[in-house]
Amino acid sequence: MFPYDEASWSVVDGAMFMGWGSALPGISTAIAAIICVVVLVIGHRSEMEKAKAFDK
Amino acid sequence: MEQQIADLAAKLAELEAASVAAAVTNTMFAETFYYLTIPLMILIHAGFLAYEMGASRLKNVLSSGVKNILAFAFVIPTFYFFGWWIYWGLPTGITGSAGPAGISGAEYANSIAWGWGDAAQYMGPNIADQASGVFFGAFALFAATTASIMSGAVIERIQTIGFIILAVVLGSFAWVVAAAWGWHADGWLVTQWGLHDFGAAGLVHAVAGFFALGVLINLGPRIGKFNADGTANHIPGHNMPLTVVGLMLIIVGFWGFLMACVIVPGEAWSWFGDKASTIYGTPITLSALSFNILMAISGGIIGSWLFTRDPFWMMSGALAGIISTASGLDIYFPAMAFIIAFSAGVILKPCADFLERRGIDDAVGAVTVHGTIGLYGLIMLGVWGSGFPALGGAAGEVPTINLIGQIVGAAVFFLLGFVPGFGCSWILNKLGMLRVPKGAELVGMDRVKVPAEGYPEWGGDAGIKPAHPAE
Repeated sequence: MFPYDEASWSVVDGAMFMGWGSALPGISTAIAAIICVVVLVIGHRSEMEKAKAFDK
Repeated sequence: MEQQIADLAAKLAELEAASVAAAVTNTMFAETFYYLTIPLMILIHAGFLAYEMGASRLKNVLSSGVKNILAFAFVIPTFYFFGWWIYWGLPTGITGSAGPAGISGAEYANSIAWGWGDAAQYMGPNIADQASGVFFGAFALFAATTASIMSGAVIERIQTIGFIILAVVLGSFAWVVAAAWGWHADGWLVTQWGLHDFGAAGLVHAVAGFFALGVLINLGPRIGKFNADGTANHIPGHNMPLTVVGLMLIIVGFWGFLMACVIVPGEAWSWFGDKASTIYGTPITLSALSFNILMAISGGIIGSWLFTRDPFWMMSGALAGIISTASGLDIYFPAMAFIIAFSAGVILKPCADFLERRGIDDAVGAVTVHGTIGLYGLIMLGVWGSGFPALGGAAGEVPTINLIGQIVGAAVFFLLGFVPGFGCSWILNKLGMLRVPKGAELVGMDRVKVPAEGYPEWGGDAGIKPAHPAE
């Protein structure tokens, strides 16, 4: 996963994170964003269910 | 001609003066950089203090605090007496031989890390040495952090002196051996296995967490924690808001902790003249830390909130987020750090429940948050970071990060924590120095150990016979 052809720190002159130059950063950003949205949806649903229980 | 030579000489003198001034400024910056990490890391202890006291019942609130404060007070001098020597003396193994980087081995440690003889010049005020004291200070605070991690797990039933002995073994010996082996350019786990643990997920958190597990097995659960059928009762602390704020303070302190893991450039002892590095001599930036720590905190909180909705576990999730990514904070992409931290937040409570079902009463979840998640973080880096050179240099010349190396490191750190924790607490138990007597535990340890009350205007519950042993 080293982002340069030669696995050496001496050739690194810029981005040095895992997956730089591949689709991985974009994919992981998309997954992170989806996690945030899904958690909000699940959280809202379960919270509303509990809140409704007190209306009865 | 003579005038030109005079002008050139003057310019040369100006440049030399500027160069000296720049060197002085850099040295002052380097010294200040590490100096400031120390008060930041003391916030970790402020946090653990609040966290433990909040998690204690009213009858034990001050004794929990006293225990935590004493751990700090005893780990610092013992780390000065011999812990600092262990870090420099044992990287290549217990033989104390010198490593390839030339900054390890018994002979080297003898020359810089004893408080007597010639070595003492590096262990006290010295106008020509602006590095040793601040490095020592940062490492001493790492040491005290390990003791604080164990401290929370054992509240409300441990003897003070027995606890201090355990804190010293952990803070000034066990984790220091782990740091020498896995957090030093000559460490054998690094040079032979390619271990990478930039932010000490394994060598601080996992060692401390599994040391606590070893102690908890011998210490046993608090009275009333488990029913006859083995089911567990929840023993709530007296002040959840204090606990949650304490956890937030620990998060603040971890910025100092992780800052102290960076080697600044431009000094004789720096890896680079122009850029910061990790302790392994690989490049890093504070911006990398900023991106990844923030994303990891967020991921951990979100993951924990999803399944618990409990602020205690949410803030523990924030810690778990940092710990799960700590090994690779220098090279993770921020969104990856978020995803790994989120997964750590999700598994946190089930892992704690797993331990509880096996009769382990970890009052604050320290074994899970620091131990289990620390090992999880080490292994996650092996999964995602394989192929990165583990030391400054190129693959082939130096080892690369790899899954097997990370697993070996995880196993070594588990053993370095669990074995001394179990062994020492077993001995203390046999000597009658581990657990307070039953009567003292029931009446509350503040009444036994502390000549003060936590909340005198409220009265205390220390003198009240509990309706249920878990109260």
